[in-house]
Amino acid sequence: MNNNFFEVKNVDFNVGGKIKVRNVSFSIEKEGDIICLLGPSGIGKTTILRTIAGLENLKSGSIELNGKILSSEKVRVEPEDRNISLAFQENSLFPHYTVEKNILLGAERNKDKKDKKISFKEIIELLNISPILKKYPHQISAGESQRASLARSLIVQPDLLLLDEPLSNVDQSFKEEIQVSLKKILNKLKISTIIVTHDSYEAFYLGSKCGIILNEELKQFDDPYKVYHFPNSIEVVNFLNRGVLIPAEVTSPKSLENEDLGTITGNFINPFPIGSKVKLLIQPEDLQHDDKSNLQLEVVDRKFRGTSFIYTLKTLSNLLIPVFVHSHHIHQHEIEEKFGIKRPIHIDHIVCF
Amino acid sequence: MNLKIINTWYLSSFIISIIVLIPILTVFSSFFEDTTNYFEILKETFFLEYIFNSITLLLGVLFLTFILGVGSAYIVSFYEFPGANFFKWALILSFAIPPYIYAYSLFAFFENYGTAFTILKFLFGDGEYNKHIPKFSGMFGLILSLSFSLFAYVYILARSSFLYQSQNLIELGKNLGFSKFKSFYSIILPAARPAIVAGLSLVAMETLAEFGAVDFFSINTLTTGIYNAWIAFDDLAFANRISFFLLLFIFILFLTENLSRKKAKFHLETKGGFKKREKIKLQGSKSIFAIIFCTLLFFLSFVFPLSQMLYWTIKFPENLFDLNIIDLLMNTLYLVSLSSLVLIFFALLSNYGNRVSNKKILNILSTLSISGYAIPGVILAIAFITFVAWFDDNFIKSMGFLSIKKVFIGSVLGLVIVYFVRFYSLAFNGIKSGYEKMNIAVDESAYLLGYSKTKTFFNIHIPYLRNSLLFVVILISLEIIRELPITLILRPFNFETFATTAYISASEDLLEAAAVPALFLILIATFFILLTSKYILRERDE
Repeated sequence: MNNNFFEVKNVDFNVGGKIKVRNVSFSIEKEGDIICLLGPSGIGKTTILRTIAGLENLKSGSIELNGKILSSEKVRVEPEDRNISLAFQENSLFPHYTVEKNILLGAERNKDKKDKKISFKEIIELLNISPILKKYPHQISAGESQRASLARSLIVQPDLLLLDEPLSNVDQSFKEEIQVSLKKILNKLKISTIIVTHDSYEAFYLGSKCGIILNEELKQFDDPYKVYHFPNSIEVVNFLNRGVLIPAEVTSPKSLENEDLGTITGNFINPFPIGSKVKLLIQPEDLQHDDKSNLQLEVVDRKFRGTSFIYTLKTLSNLLIPVFVHSHHIHQHEIEEKFGIKRPIHIDHIVCF
Repeated sequence: MNLKIINTWYLSSFIISIIVLIPILTVFSSFFEDTTNYFEILKETFFLEYIFNSITLLLGVLFLTFILGVGSAYIVSFYEFPGANFFKWALILSFAIPPYIYAYSLFAFFENYGTAFTILKFLFGDGEYNKHIPKFSGMFGLILSLSFSLFAYVYILARSSFLYQSQNLIELGKNLGFSKFKSFYSIILPAARPAIVAGLSLVAMETLAEFGAVDFFSINTLTTGIYNAWIAFDDLAFANRISFFLLLFIFILFLTENLSRKKAKFHLETKGGFKKREKIKLQGSKSIFAIIFCTLLFFLSFVFPLSQMLYWTIKFPENLFDLNIIDLLMNTLYLVSLSSLVLIFFALLSNYGNRVSNKKILNILSTLSISGYAIPGVILAIAFITFVAWFDDNFIKSMGFLSIKKVFIGSVLGLVIVYFVRFYSLAFNGIKSGYEKMNIAVDESAYLLGYSKTKTFFNIHIPYLRNSLLFVVILISLEIIRELPITLILRPFNFETFATTAYISASEDLLEAAAVPALFLILIATFFILLTSKYILRERDE
């Protein structure tokens, strides 16, 4: 017996007969959970949302919500009968109605609902829509239009909410604030949500689970922490782009050896036989800076990230390694200067391929 | 999408395409039928004249409309001078004057003892003015009549292209050190070329399709050849054979226009980088030149024919009372409302079908079904008669039924069917351009808000398309009011419109009597143009 609130089972997602993502399975365990799907542009993330919403057909597998089959080879519930809301990435507001009327049209759907968890007023305040209520879609910016579309989707209080790059057009300065508001509303309303994004920070913040879609497959579906720290394939590592893979040899169940960095100790996520030649994932926070260390590497690049610097260091065998340093660190290193790495190197979780 | 709905779209699109294809197929099939010997005689003698005259007319009109259309569009789009805002819309009023009415005015004004003579006599007393007044008849008069009534096609398209040219483009020219003339020649004109070509193609199609003015000046072109083969020699097959040549001509123009429209997309693409252009304020003699050019053009294209018709109506008021204006108005309204209803119904159905099903075959059928606008009214009407006669003889009568000719020929039903073929593209494209502005995600949002397809259509599409539908109705009305050959050939007995009444009077050399219906036609058409000017002259920031 399957107890998941929402479940996608072995689905080939396709558009016009062309398969975009193959044999996908994932689920939302309980009502109110938020999951995020991450992947590069054009990979088929939107197709997944459109198929769940009933806007694209399904040829194999099944999609179930609350124990009821919505789509399968034989069953197809029409989009208007699913009570699933989709906030499109592009402008989908009704062009001849004001923003206010657009949102109120969403409210019409649940006018008979007894259990209304949020009011029109609350939504427009949370998403800061009041200044644009009387405007028409063509009079507002892309970011404002996305927020209005989001408000319309939320006020429906759907069984499942689908958000397609919901904040891609929102100004960076405003984005974090909206992310916080969005998480707050979704948690308050207990609306199960699937968010599609290419922004991994957004996905890690909003989702309780994250799925990584690459090369027509759902490569990994796990907690954000695990996706980040324990990527299950080289493709996921490359996609997240938060570290480098360097050659190493396993020397014991808790250590390995690299030509430039020496001995590295830690706990293997996946065990490898002693003597195996592996590729070791080094993420910026794995190595620590130490001016007094005898392992000195040359700085070839320095990226200022506000709260931190990411230094790129060159080893003797020309490997480029990223190292995180807090921006309040006592001094900064210039390019071509030497930069010390604390030894012995210990990485809490060792990820190898 | 359920199967039943898809079938409805296919069926309706298929029916529309068939109706439009009938005249084209009829014209082609004429090659397999016998004609009278007259064809041989004509082939030896007049046929070459038809072709020569058609080409001369075409080149003359294209040259003049290019100068008038591009010149006026350039002046009002790039420069600021007293009256510029007035001329912006006043220049499209020439659409209210059909070429045949312009021809009546031009001829009557300059003829011996005509209006020009009367004016000179009034101003300077009796004199031998006739030999000094130039005569605008024959090919030259015809070219002038068509050019002044059709230049607005080039004006509107060139102007909108000029308007959409970003300031960046102009600044680029300045940055490269170009003079104003070089900027115009090397940057502005090439960027607007596709729009200008599209405008000229429309002018060319209208010129080749023109019947009233050509007939009035007794110039033998392919169009009048078709009409004469039918009316004078009762040879439908021969009429259709001439139609074939004319269609070939038009097919080439049609392709040119379509290709240039596709290119226009690239030329007009200014997404993200558009910068509104500041108009240059003209001073002194340059400003006076601009005012004179636009005033003269407005006067010659609109005020002149209007005044001539008004003058005759006032001078011969008995013609006003001889005419049953109410009847003519009711007939016109009847045709307009019936045709608009049918056209809008099918155009909406087909557009909606294309939108919800997104099937390639439907798109192809739609493209096919809008080709009717390129076929001259004379060809459509005669091909329709040919087809009905053939169908009647070979199917209806042979099966023992009563003839259906009277149901379709010389009836309002026949008129509406042929108007449908001729003007379907107006309705289809008008609604299509409305739909194109509405993202498909809008429909999908509606479904996800619980709207059924029917509710989405009535609650979202129709309110949104309201303006486009109104625009389409006005355009159809404008076309039907001015339309001559189809109405003339297919109208029921004793059923007249302003256009046919004017034509009949003029063809009986009663130009003064033609003035009253022509004046009403101009006034009604002007009213409709003023209603649509907002759409026609739409600007980016509006």
